[in-house]
Amino acid sequence: MCFFLIFLILPSVSARDPALHSQYSTQVSILSAMELIWNLCEILFVEAAAAGPLLLRLLDWVRLHVCDVDNMVREVLSSENPSKHELFWNVVDVFVLQGRMDEARHLLAKEASANPTSVNMYKTLDDLMKKMPVPSLGNTQTLTEMELKWQHWHEECQRYLQDGTFASNSHMESICKILLGDEDAILEKKELLATWYQFLVTRLLYSHPTVKPMELRFYAQSSMDLFLGGESSPEPLDTILMAAFEFEMHQVIKECSIALSNWWFVAHLTDLLDHCKLLQSHNLYFGSNMREFLLLEYASGLFSHHSLWQLGVDYFDHCPEYGRVYLELHIERIPLNTEQKALKVLRICEQRQMHEQVRSICKIMAMKALRNNRLGSALSWSIRAKDAAFATLISDRFLKDYCERGCFSDLDLIDNLGPSMLLSDRLTFLGKYREFHRLYGEKRFSEAAKLLLMLMTAHIAPCSFWMTLLTDALPLLEQKEVIFSAEQTYELMRCLEDLTAGKSDKQKFQDDDVETMKVEMLRLALARNLARVIVKEGTLEGS
Amino acid sequence: MCLLLSPPPPQVSVINTVDTSHEDMIHDAQMDYYGTRLATCSSDRSVKIFDVRNGGQILIADLRGHEGPVWQVAWAHPMYGNILASCSYDRKVIIWKEENGTWEKTYEYTGHDSSVNSVCWAPHDYGLILACGSSDGAISLLSYTGDGQWEVKKISNAHTIGCNAVSWAPAVVPGSLIEQPSGQKPNYIKRFASGGCDNLVKIWKEEDGQWKEEQKLEAHSDWVRDVAWAPSIGLPTSTIASCSQDGRVFIWTCDDASGNSWSPKLLHKFNDVVWHVSWSITANILAVSGGDNKVTLWKESVDGLWACISDVNKGQGGVSALPEGQQNEQ
Repeated sequence: MCFFLIFLILPSVSARDPALHSQYSTQVSILSAMELIWNLCEILFVEAAAAGPLLLRLLDWVRLHVCDVDNMVREVLSSENPSKHELFWNVVDVFVLQGRMDEARHLLAKEASANPTSVNMYKTLDDLMKKMPVPSLGNTQTLTEMELKWQHWHEECQRYLQDGTFASNSHMESICKILLGDEDAILEKKELLATWYQFLVTRLLYSHPTVKPMELRFYAQSSMDLFLGGESSPEPLDTILMAAFEFEMHQVIKECSIALSNWWFVAHLTDLLDHCKLLQSHNLYFGSNMREFLLLEYASGLFSHHSLWQLGVDYFDHCPEYGRVYLELHIERIPLNTEQKALKVLRICEQRQMHEQVRSICKIMAMKALRNNRLGSALSWSIRAKDAAFATLISDRFLKDYCERGCFSDLDLIDNLGPSMLLSDRLTFLGKYREFHRLYGEKRFSEAAKLLLMLMTAHIAPCSFWMTLLTDALPLLEQKEVIFSAEQTYELMRCLEDLTAGKSDKQKFQDDDVETMKVEMLRLALARNLARVIVKEGTLEGS
Repeated sequence: MCLLLSPPPPQVSVINTVDTSHEDMIHDAQMDYYGTRLATCSSDRSVKIFDVRNGGQILIADLRGHEGPVWQVAWAHPMYGNILASCSYDRKVIIWKEENGTWEKTYEYTGHDSSVNSVCWAPHDYGLILACGSSDGAISLLSYTGDGQWEVKKISNAHTIGCNAVSWAPAVVPGSLIEQPSGQKPNYIKRFASGGCDNLVKIWKEEDGQWKEEQKLEAHSDWVRDVAWAPSIGLPTSTIASCSQDGRVFIWTCDDASGNSWSPKLLHKFNDVVWHVSWSITANILAVSGGDNKVTLWKESVDGLWACISDVNKGQGGVSALPEGQQNEQ
């Protein structure tokens, strides 16, 4: 687990910042507690270890998680002369309490070689420890066989103790008592046990190694009572572990929910139990919805984080009933600070066919771009949102800009609109108008002329823009070579008449000189063009 | 709604306090859509906007324009830009908009004859529409039609004596289980709830462009101070929370899609007037604030009873679970 890394960082942090150190220490202890609970749940619920292997699993569990004594052990083992170390017997006791027989025997051998006079005593104890029957993992022996062997061994230990074999060495005598499962002897080593659940496992090892899962609760309760001895009350961790030993899964979840400050641990634990089909066997009318409820809570919490929201998405995906709607509600509220983030969110929505959300987000981005005068960006967002109204608005802005400045911005975008041009009439006009300019620039005048005319006659161009288009036609009319055909010229004249006729007298009055001059110039140019083209068309080729 | 074995633990805690420097009582505080900005309004006639990202509090704007205490503020959906509505005792509703980094008044509505008490933006699917409830008993609906123009529809005598609160129903497309062909504008049925001095909660529905009273919900014995329509999580049920001067908070649920039978459930009876109720995004938590200076958060448990999951006392910012006796009174 990741908290090993914290162990590495911790020493360097503590030197610099005591507050940070204590914060990290708290985190580490919480994580350790979580791992302790998780492993116990794995052993008891998921693996559902049966009598026999159950004890071995519990022994592993204790050895893995109860690390208080590791420093002491290391100190003694690494000293020059371990058997002379003042904590030597403590370490031996620790090994015995944790059922680590080989290591205990190894240390005792050192002591034996240092004290040749007590060699016999050591040999006896060593023998007892070697012969101690333990449950096997494979099917090599049945429980009954094991119990029988264990009974014999227990009686043997009893005999040696009563014969006074270890009378001269109090340490070894107490070890023998521990081997016999004497509760008082074990409790004497309280500091080395550190916790009531270690005490429980030691007790079970030396008095009921074939304990059945359902019997655990009684031993657990009495162990806790004996160990705490009424001096201190159980802490939240103790309550959780007790609930686990009592196989009350829902109680475990409930207690964890109360003790921990977020849903992370509980959500994942419940999910695991649900996948093992363990929660459904409990008699609650909403059954497996407990899992979804906790996952929804956890994932909702993730969405308030600036980057962890992406994990939240995956969690919602795995909630079959409400996941999708929760995701729809949450994903729209992620602040879209950058385009990359918006694109990320969009990709997620598109993958899940959340069309409403896609449209909404694109509209928001388009509006933002428009506010910052980035017309090209706004246009591409509104195309993506398939928002015709907005596209029209932006096209108008482009055209207005063109009228004011005489040039287009974001030419690349407009040139490459493709089929999305058809989203809105105004947008189509914008695209075609830009095409007209391109044709003109490439000196493809007759094509440009045709396009220009088409824009007016097919009513693609808005009426307000006709004057501009006609003015654009002027240079084409004034070219040396005749471009507009007679028919086209008639069309243009008609357009001009439509335009001027449409104005009321009042408007004509308000038109300034520039406007009237423009109209005059156009009429003149059109007439001249008509004259030339009639002559041209009337002339035979080659003459 | 939540499904839990037992009331969840007090996992809620205060994450930030904002010193607004308002010179008088603060009547409303609203986070924007993304939770990055906070708008507050006060009896000192100002509306303030703060940037509250990463636990900070930077004053972005101090909006002056009202001539009396400002009662409520409401953020519009971000797709319309940064828009904030405020309503005040001075009978005005002002709509503010952020243009080029500065906040300016974009529209002022003066069509009410007395204090405007509540404003609420409609779901963005309907367009940009603002509902305003006033002490003259009328409810106005302002719709943006484009180019800085707003169209007004008024429901006169919505509540006798006065209207104190308005809240829109979430946009639900009838028959939304069937795929709508894309591009077609779905036919929404617009609804909102209002609470008034006639002790009633009313539900209004738009039919053929006209607003009609659809339902009258009676349960309160004093002025209704706030109504809040819960967001939809896809179930066919609708839920409304209402709170009143009589200290009671009711949760109204309607199970059938036609919206005909609403049944109330008492959340709790408080010792003092309850001013505001507000739903979380996914409608599983209800926040209640009242004259007892507390803000409490409530969640529905598996047996249908509402349990308090935290309370924040004024000025303390602490967290504690309610003692057993105060929970789940029926």
